[in-house]
Amino acid sequence: MRIAWLLPAVGLASLGAIEAGPVAAQEPTLGIDSSYGCVVCHIDHRRAFLSGVHAERGIQCDNCHGGRPAAMTVAGAHGGRFLGRPSKRQIASLCASCHADPNQMRQFGLRSDEMAALHTSRHGQLLERGDDNAPTCTDCHEAHLIRRATDARSNTNPLNIPGLCARCHADAARMAPYGIPADQFAQFSSSAHGEALFRDRNLAAPTCVGCHGSHSALPPGVTQVTDVCGRCHALVRDAFSLGPHAEPTARGVISGCTACHSNHGTERVAPDAVAESCGHCHEPGTAAAATADTLETQVHEASHRLEEARAAMARLEAAGRPIADMEQRYRTAFTAYRQMALVQHSLETETLESLALQVISSVRTIDEAAEVAAEQRWEHQLLLIPVWFLALAVVVLARFRISESREAPPPAAGDGP
Amino acid sequence: MADGSRRTPRRFLRRVAALRDEIRESTDANLLAALRVLGLLYGPLDRRSRIDRAFQKARAYRLAPHVGWRHALGGIAYFLLMLLVGTGVLMAFYYRPSAQEAYPSVQHIVASVPFGWLIRDAHVWAASLVVILVVLHLGRTFLEATYKAPRQTNWTVGLLLLLVVLAFGASGYLLPWEQAGYWTVTEALDTVARIPVLGGIASELLRGDAVVSGATLSRFFALHVIILPWLLLGLISMHYGLVRKHGAAPLAYGTGAGREVRFYPHHLMRILGAAAVTLAVVISLVVLVPRPFGPPADPGVVPDAIPSTWVAVTPWRGLVHYIGVLGPVLLLLFGLVLLVLPLVDRGHERDLRRRPIALVLAIVAVGGLLLATVAGRFLREAPPVQTPPEVEAPATPFSGAESPAVPTAPPDTGAEGRQP
Repeated sequence: MRIAWLLPAVGLASLGAIEAGPVAAQEPTLGIDSSYGCVVCHIDHRRAFLSGVHAERGIQCDNCHGGRPAAMTVAGAHGGRFLGRPSKRQIASLCASCHADPNQMRQFGLRSDEMAALHTSRHGQLLERGDDNAPTCTDCHEAHLIRRATDARSNTNPLNIPGLCARCHADAARMAPYGIPADQFAQFSSSAHGEALFRDRNLAAPTCVGCHGSHSALPPGVTQVTDVCGRCHALVRDAFSLGPHAEPTARGVISGCTACHSNHGTERVAPDAVAESCGHCHEPGTAAAATADTLETQVHEASHRLEEARAAMARLEAAGRPIADMEQRYRTAFTAYRQMALVQHSLETETLESLALQVISSVRTIDEAAEVAAEQRWEHQLLLIPVWFLALAVVVLARFRISESREAPPPAAGDGP
Repeated sequence: MADGSRRTPRRFLRRVAALRDEIRESTDANLLAALRVLGLLYGPLDRRSRIDRAFQKARAYRLAPHVGWRHALGGIAYFLLMLLVGTGVLMAFYYRPSAQEAYPSVQHIVASVPFGWLIRDAHVWAASLVVILVVLHLGRTFLEATYKAPRQTNWTVGLLLLLVVLAFGASGYLLPWEQAGYWTVTEALDTVARIPVLGGIASELLRGDAVVSGATLSRFFALHVIILPWLLLGLISMHYGLVRKHGAAPLAYGTGAGREVRFYPHHLMRILGAAAVTLAVVISLVVLVPRPFGPPADPGVVPDAIPSTWVAVTPWRGLVHYIGVLGPVLLLLFGLVLLVLPLVDRGHERDLRRRPIALVLAIVAVGGLLLATVAGRFLREAPPVQTPPEVEAPATPFSGAESPAVPTAPPDTGAEGRQP
């Protein structure tokens, strides 16, 4: 009885839940009410604008576009100090009217120097000149649908930044007048940085703005490259600064990191291509070339031993051997190898040699275990000789026994069935 | 002292001579000598149990003249089963049936126990070979129509033995607690669960938990080392008893005239030779193609590929992947057809050329098996079938048109597997 009484109540409650669904999903109406005239015609902008951050703060159409929203006619609404579609330079000034004011930005934890930064950038300089190709604020941030950078849908989310820059910078025709190549996005995508970002979703990986700056976007100068890369690769920078290449880099004779690793592609120099890389600048037969050969021998030997140890561990693991100890040793060896990767930037061959010895001595036990396993495998294969000898002996004996019994006269009455 | 020490070797030599005479006087020096030397046949045991007479009866047993190598298939399968029992018992000394200890204990067997690698891999390879041998044995029986009267019962017993052999392999497949076995069993139980009527109950009973876990491992272990071995022992005894009772079936066609073949030494020696070669083949396979050791089972990680280490898994995966739950249902139906075959096919015709329906059935079965195996080979590197999530995921806030390509995580539901 009590349950039967409850049923209609439950039904009503669930109906209520269904009703509540669409209501909750409706877009927010804050900021703009029905008396607001702009949205009667510009309904598409209304939807975009209401999804952005500015609608949350009560900013309305006329704050940027001017006009009279309460007017009942198009002419009336577009009257007064109506701006319509602002020009690129007007847009920058409009945004700066709030975003360059520290008092207004402080509450949101936002910077207020973007406009100043923009003036220092190549983009800003072109904008000043009235170049139509130069981007203004809305080209990167959108005009109406402005989202926070933490929003994965935002243009300025780290995952989307390379694509955002590529909108213009991958367009060869557009870049031609400025003498800029258009392959940066392609190079970045396949670089270590691009793989970290796109494949591993590592948001700590640098995007375009990590090296060039965002509002102050400019390519780093030749003498600045080491500092730019060194912001993340601090230990490499330290090692580099101890080596003989630091001084010519400071003088601007060589381009620091990008002399061996390209800028957007960030190619690694393979262990067996060290001398070849040095050979781009140093003639064969010189002392520098000899150092390059020593470097390559040490690095290549260590990496080769590590690869062998890895393969041996995989074989041992597939054969059911516990390899926890070996993994520990491998990690020790790998740490020394990573240190080699750092130290080689200083070209200190003695330190490199001691690190290479550390690698080799750490993987030695792995090699030994692999050798023992290989020997055992060989011994197991030798086992096949007596096994097959015995098996064939049994077959021969069986055949012999059968033929012997065939030759013999059939036995007297057996008691079989 | 000196007398005593001189007398002892003399007494010993006298005993050896007496033993030699005993062996000479015995019914068959070759067959029974070993048992006599061990004292098993001569003496009180012999006198009380008349075991000697039983042996004499056995060695006088005659087989039909046409009995040949093709009749050794069952014997080789029996040898392989005994090899499996032997290696299995040895492994049971070291194996520990728990989710935590199973994998390391198998590692210990393979890496540290003397000849553990040989015992373990011989068990694995024999498990595959025995299925092939039993199926060949079944094929011979079917093609020669020896399931007809009076041997219908033995056909049924043989089919049950095939089922037991498959159940052995299936339950053993989980025991090493590797990713491959874990996900194959998961996939299999999920597939079985979708068989109408009894599938759900069967998979629940076997799994014993919401996912394949330590509870499942315990159940599979109990099946593998307690229930199935007793079933096997009983069924094999029946199988041999019935073979002995009815004898080998006469030739399907032709007269088969000739002198009768003595079971001993002819057939027994034939099987002994075949068994020796089989054992050598098993050891060669172990040495030359060792079973790879996969990563330990992890219910949280669906592997990209699950390699097969048992011959029956390959066609099963082929079936399950391409026709889903219909695969096991077809297998069940096929088993039922084989089971009722002696009841339906009651004619006396045994010449295959005059049994077109049986021929078609055989071709369909062999073709289907080959097709499924080939399909399974292609799937070798395929991940387990994912069970579609039962509850639809709620719409994410990123489902709008402007959302960037954010990779969606695979549904975190159990995968389904297959396995006989």
